[in-house]
Amino acid sequence: MNLIHQWTGSFPDLQQAAIRQAVESASLAKIRRALRLLQELAPEQRGPVLNVEILSTFNLEPILPVLQLTLNCLPSRAELRLAPLDNIEGYISQSASADSQKLPDARVVIWRLEEVLPEALYPFSSGFPKQLAARVDQVMARVEGVVSLHQRTAHGIPLFLSTMALPVNFANPVSAAQHCAGLFASVSRVNQKIYEVATARDGIYVLDLASWAAFEGRVHADAIVDFLARQPLSAKGQLGFALFIARCLRPLITPRRKVLAIDLDNTLWGGVVGEDGVAGLKLGHEFPGNVHLRIQREVLELRNRGVLLVLLSKNNEADVREVFDSLPDMLLKWEDFAVRKIDWNHKHENLRDAARELGLGLDSFAFLDDSDYEREQMHQFIPEVLILNETPDPLHTLRSLWETDAFDSLAVTDEDRQRHRDYSIRAARDVGAHRDDLEAFLKSLEMEATIEEIGSSNMERVVAMLGKTNQFNLTTRRHSRAQVQSMLELSGSIALALRLRDKFGDQGIVALLLAIPSGEDATLLVDSFLVSCRALGRGLEDALWAAMVGRASQQSVRRLEAEYISTAKNGIVADLYDRLGLRRIQPDGGSTRYVLEQIIPVTFPSWIALEGQTYGH
Amino acid sequence: MDTEDRLLPLLLDFFELPADTPPEDIRQQLLPAWDSLATVQLITDLERAFSVNFDIDEITRLRSYREIRDALIRQGVRFDNSADQRG
Repeated sequence: MNLIHQWTGSFPDLQQAAIRQAVESASLAKIRRALRLLQELAPEQRGPVLNVEILSTFNLEPILPVLQLTLNCLPSRAELRLAPLDNIEGYISQSASADSQKLPDARVVIWRLEEVLPEALYPFSSGFPKQLAARVDQVMARVEGVVSLHQRTAHGIPLFLSTMALPVNFANPVSAAQHCAGLFASVSRVNQKIYEVATARDGIYVLDLASWAAFEGRVHADAIVDFLARQPLSAKGQLGFALFIARCLRPLITPRRKVLAIDLDNTLWGGVVGEDGVAGLKLGHEFPGNVHLRIQREVLELRNRGVLLVLLSKNNEADVREVFDSLPDMLLKWEDFAVRKIDWNHKHENLRDAARELGLGLDSFAFLDDSDYEREQMHQFIPEVLILNETPDPLHTLRSLWETDAFDSLAVTDEDRQRHRDYSIRAARDVGAHRDDLEAFLKSLEMEATIEEIGSSNMERVVAMLGKTNQFNLTTRRHSRAQVQSMLELSGSIALALRLRDKFGDQGIVALLLAIPSGEDATLLVDSFLVSCRALGRGLEDALWAAMVGRASQQSVRRLEAEYISTAKNGIVADLYDRLGLRRIQPDGGSTRYVLEQIIPVTFPSWIALEGQTYGH
Repeated sequence: MDTEDRLLPLLLDFFELPADTPPEDIRQQLLPAWDSLATVQLITDLERAFSVNFDIDEITRLRSYREIRDALIRQGVRFDNSADQRG
């Protein structure tokens, strides 16, 4: 139940208490009361709108309030629409022909073997093995069919397909396991198909009820209510089921934590290096060093799937270096940490510095530390940081990594896998690496930029970047596709995107600039200027600015205007236009206006090669 | 604690009834909200609150405060002032 309390930490005390009571009692009256209290909150306190459509082969109506509650706790203003019982294809087809405005934000298909393939429960009455295997083939084809129907009629709407839980109520489990067309194998084949479809197609996700049910055990099931109302979940099972669904949908509306800030002594190894020396530390294949080794494995896995690591340790750096250099079983390497803060400062201060260097918000951080004092202090000073563990016990620390949803995501992209490198570059730059070293380093990346016109071929990426870039974003204008399109149509507008290749491969479009003619004669106003957070610190802004200025001078633009609109996240570009040589005309509330009276060509950064000049000549 | 105090408030809460509703008025016949959906939800609530599992015979007879109370007593739940205590 810890998850739900973490999710709802921003709610007022009254609502939090009501949710706690609802979850602890699982009583419908208390669930309804909590829901009513949540509805009294202002919309911005309740979270984003989330319309979810659920299509199920068994009866979920009795547990709708529980589902509503867990989804509201994400937090979200979730609205649930339950399709008629066991009518998946019919409902999808029908909702396609109805008003397309009514499409949900997410669609969930929940099916179970008892309805979809009941023959598998009675194999010898169902033509085992051949006919039964053929029926399994049909169910697999049905999975494909449902996905295709969804994609044809509700393209772009995320679809969550449940796997099928192993039935709880059936006879002869021993013989059921003995044949590749038996009950267990049949369930596995269907589920394998579901995983394959989700892997192969965009926007299809797995709601793994099979794993959930295996994890919960038989206590999730209640045979009598199943017979009575085709509702198979016990009182205990209902809440777990609803929480599981909420957790699976959560990445749709809540970004995961991007950074794990982690302590060393008694966390990544047993013992205190300053007292026990390297030889006295516990890490390896013997107990209890194996617990710490496992913690390192989990942390390394997080790093490899795109979570940045920040080291926060009160130690002498030389001692720590020695451990990394000489302790044989160290799995994590010095370079695995995007930022290392090893000194005697307060950890919350070091975390703030790390956030600044990485250009990330404090609410992007999760924190692990064995010290009660450090965790408490972190919580007091930076409540936005998620504290993962609650006690000093290493096994508890490990469990907190197993159980947290802080790093949940529906897909790990190539971008995620490279994130560590991109941010290390950025942090290195921000701590003021020596200019020559930095240039040498940037040159070693073998960067090649292509400047493209913004148009239909790259519009999707451009609109996505406008929608999500927070840090290097001068005006944070979230233009829609239609708005960008109308800017492009203005005569004299300049709309450029920068595509980057480096020695690691094609990074795609990572920067863009939109400038439109302003009221005054031959004046161009920079409406939007942004660089993706994963490409910061490489001078790409200079490259794109140089390209735009080159284009502007060809178009006989005489004057450039620009604007910086301050937000909680874009402090990194507060003085960008000063640096680019523009003159401040007047600060206007949260925005500062700039002007460039004379358009002089700007030098392209020497460490970036310019490919196929699509502007200029 | 007096167990009877737990069933009555549970039902009052569940059906959102005034606190002074007499127990004998808590009957399916008298409460439009007590439909088949509510029955299923109520069974789950009762099973959880009293840590019991009803059998089939009982499930079909959970139609009033009195019947529920009797079923719980048969399941071994103690009600103070009850002539039919078990367990």
